[in-house]
Amino acid sequence: MISPIKIWRNQKKIVQLVGKTGTIVAWTLIRVPPGDFTNQAPYPVVVVTLADRRITAQLVDWEEKHLVIGQKVVTVIRKVFETGDGVIPYGIKVKPVSYGNR
Amino acid sequence: MVSIIGASTTKFGELWGTSPRQLAREAVEGALADAGIDQKKVDALFVANMLAGPLAGQQHLGPFFAEELGLHVPAFTIEGACASGGLAVHAAVNAITSGQYEIMVVLGVEKMTDHKPEDVATALMGAGSDEERLSGATFPGLYALLARSHMEKFGTTQEELASIAVKNHFHASLNTNAQFHNTLTVEDVMKSSKVADPITLLECSPISDGAAAVVLTKSRKGVRIVASEVATDTLGLAQRKSLTQLLATQEAASHAYKKAGVGPNDIDVAEVHDCFTIAEILAMEDLGFYKKGKAARAIARGETSLPDSGNPRDSRNRRLVVNPSGGLKGCGHPVAATGIKQMVELVHQLRGTAGKRQVAGARVGLAQNVGGSGATAVVHILKKNYDLRFTN
Repeated sequence: MISPIKIWRNQKKIVQLVGKTGTIVAWTLIRVPPGDFTNQAPYPVVVVTLADRRITAQLVDWEEKHLVIGQKVVTVIRKVFETGDGVIPYGIKVKPVSYGNR
Repeated sequence: MVSIIGASTTKFGELWGTSPRQLAREAVEGALADAGIDQKKVDALFVANMLAGPLAGQQHLGPFFAEELGLHVPAFTIEGACASGGLAVHAAVNAITSGQYEIMVVLGVEKMTDHKPEDVATALMGAGSDEERLSGATFPGLYALLARSHMEKFGTTQEELASIAVKNHFHASLNTNAQFHNTLTVEDVMKSSKVADPITLLECSPISDGAAAVVLTKSRKGVRIVASEVATDTLGLAQRKSLTQLLATQEAASHAYKKAGVGPNDIDVAEVHDCFTIAEILAMEDLGFYKKGKAARAIARGETSLPDSGNPRDSRNRRLVVNPSGGLKGCGHPVAATGIKQMVELVHQLRGTAGKRQVAGARVGLAQNVGGSGATAVVHILKKNYDLRFTN
């Protein structure tokens, strides 16, 4: 149950967080997900230290080699999950940064 | 001084045939009978519950359960995620100390198995932050992040984590009210399927139904509550200062020790919040029983286990016994009932009526109840009632 109003209200916050680089300080691989995320499992959830804060986020575009403490990541905008009711919630996720490969 | 004069719990488990009303009635009637108090004497009811709203659409649980129990008294719901039970006891201690109420019933009740596991997982994430919900995290996932950090910093191993589930299942095998009575090996735990790496299924407390109740009043009788302290931290895990300790537990514990005039070395028996194996390691360290990074090995060595009567070679050096009830892992975790069940277990331990689970000579007990991934922590210290002939 995602409120479009809440998504609209949070847009500024989300935009401010895009394109920040950081480092994974803890990771897990969620194999038994909450209802809204069933079609994405298994997926990693990581704690990332950015320049000015620490966040919890889903890791996307990942391979097993990226699941290490110290892995560099960058924040990106992604669809959070499918709601099935026409509302598309966007939010912050993180993806690995590989040196020499963008 | 506020004392617990009556205590009772239902069986914990997958109780499909039993309604929340029946669970509440059984626990409260049991606690009142144990106290020898007529229900007409009860001044107020606190109900600890987390999930009836999101799962069953029922709120307003004060009058809901007061009606069922035939208690025409002021009634309140207290919610603090999995720490709801401990918080409700804390609030009741304050309500009695203030002089507003004399005799109070505190009921913790939860009905989780009526609902699909995904729905329960989603509802439980109500205890986390918005950021955590949008990341797709689950509670096993959040504790997995804590476990990963602890393993990285202190070299804590999967075997050591697994040994906590083994200990708590052994304790639960001695508890007729526990959800599980089967014992486990370290291998069983490690080979069970992964839920959120590195946490395996058998490292997680189960989804459970159950209720527990205590009767509190100012009295020289009963088991005395010598400290009741609450602390909070950020709702989300990532915003905390450290991922290898729960500062709310440390803060509540340090206040509680000061109030009670005791230290970690004086505690004979503790019921702590082992929702996942890593949580018991964190509790042991944050409550001051072990230095940071030292608890896991000590627990794996058996320093906090009940004696194993079936093992003639069991002559381990014991510090204190932790989670004799079986903890959340072995006894079950109907979330808001857990904090009250911890009290019920300590009451039995301090009265000397815990049967096969009795910790010999237990005089001082501690309960630690955690909400969310450590955003709320409640610490209670309980003392045995000394024979009045010798103390007065």
